[in-house]
Amino acid sequence: MYSKEEIFKAVSTVNDPEVGFNLVEMGLIYDAICNENMEVTVTMTLSTKACPLHQMILQWVEEAILKELQKTKKVIINLVWEPTWNITMATDKVKSKLSTF
Amino acid sequence: MMVIFGTMAQLVPVVLEVGHFAVDLYYIIYPLLFIGTLLMVIGFHYYPSFLLFGGVVSFVAFSIFLLETFLTILKVKKLNFVISTVLIANIFLLFGLIIGILLAFGYSGEININIYQFLKAHVYLVLVGYVGVTIMGMSLILLPMFWLSHSFSWIYVKNALVILCVGILLVVFSSFIDIQFFEYIGYSFTFLALLLYFFQIFIIYRTRVRLEIDIYFKSMMFSYICLLTSIIMGIIYMFYPIQTLLLSLSWLGIFGFITFLITGHLYKIIPFLVWYERFSPYVGKRKVPMLADMIPVKSANMQFLFSTFGVVVISIGLLFINEVVYKSGVSLLSVGAIFLLKDILYMIRFKEDVF
Repeated sequence: MYSKEEIFKAVSTVNDPEVGFNLVEMGLIYDAICNENMEVTVTMTLSTKACPLHQMILQWVEEAILKELQKTKKVIINLVWEPTWNITMATDKVKSKLSTF
Repeated sequence: MMVIFGTMAQLVPVVLEVGHFAVDLYYIIYPLLFIGTLLMVIGFHYYPSFLLFGGVVSFVAFSIFLLETFLTILKVKKLNFVISTVLIANIFLLFGLIIGILLAFGYSGEININIYQFLKAHVYLVLVGYVGVTIMGMSLILLPMFWLSHSFSWIYVKNALVILCVGILLVVFSSFIDIQFFEYIGYSFTFLALLLYFFQIFIIYRTRVRLEIDIYFKSMMFSYICLLTSIIMGIIYMFYPIQTLLLSLSWLGIFGFITFLITGHLYKIIPFLVWYERFSPYVGKRKVPMLADMIPVKSANMQFLFSTFGVVVISIGLLFINEVVYKSGVSLLSVGAIFLLKDILYMIRFKEDVF
């Protein structure tokens, strides 16, 4: 079974092309778990509901997990809107870059 | 209108969260609209009879656009505020078009109508009704998306929409029943709606997370400053109806506000479309550029500089009826337009070897 950290590391290979940071740094990945059947469930959100890359980002997350964690049998993405994403969920690096004039 | 239609082709599925009824219809709309516009230009300048042909061809293009949009809206299960704005805007466009085709018949001499009355209703329905309401709805999606604004109230824009609709109806009715009182109430409602909309944008601005001053941010700022200036000048005009003031405020409202809103978004939307088509298949497989890498920053800043000065100088030229100042502004704006074209070509042609 993969640990939460391993799954987060795999997902961190996916970048948001608009903001330029990976999804983990952005704080968009809320939770990740792998069960004994090697099924990985990722609970995540997006920075906005209207994101035009909505479907693609979910696909990239799935592909990244399957590529980085090769024993994975299935990836389940649980896209949630509660709690709503906000900047406090991002890393300090992201906060300082986005908040720079 | 072509830029707006292109944007709508892209944004309608995002906003409505359903696919287009038949997106391929846009391949018919564009050539028809181009031919119609060309014929109407010839008609206005040389042969009025061409207006009728141009009007009919444009009418067909607009009708296909409307039909496609309405059929797409029918696929939506639940109406929210933004979807309602799309619906309302397109209803205004429908009536604006009907009046527009009657105008074309009138101009070409086929029917006898009061051109001024019809023109006022047509311009108000299309420009304020369609373009205005569309901007109101779309900016509520686009600005928070690009600025990463969250948790703000929509109350101001919702009230603005209702007041704007009443204002548009009053102006349109007054142009036919010829009661000036309704017309002025209609204009007042329009200004009030614009003020509320402006306040809503200010709230989105205050709640934004992204603070970078990029070309998008600068364009939006200038655009909304023009809107605010135009509103203030409009209020002054209601008390001091000076013709040059009306010209200057219309210029700022149409060119300063709407055009910069569009050009600012071009710097976001074009890189996205090119990136999506050209680079998204390689995500996770090899290094791909970020959207910001695809924007020619220096050139975009030059475009902004020349265009903003152009808009301001022209508005001063119009206000004081000074031909030299006006022409200077047009020159500045032309240079800005060349930079814009260059930037668009740069973004469209952005390839892997460039990166």
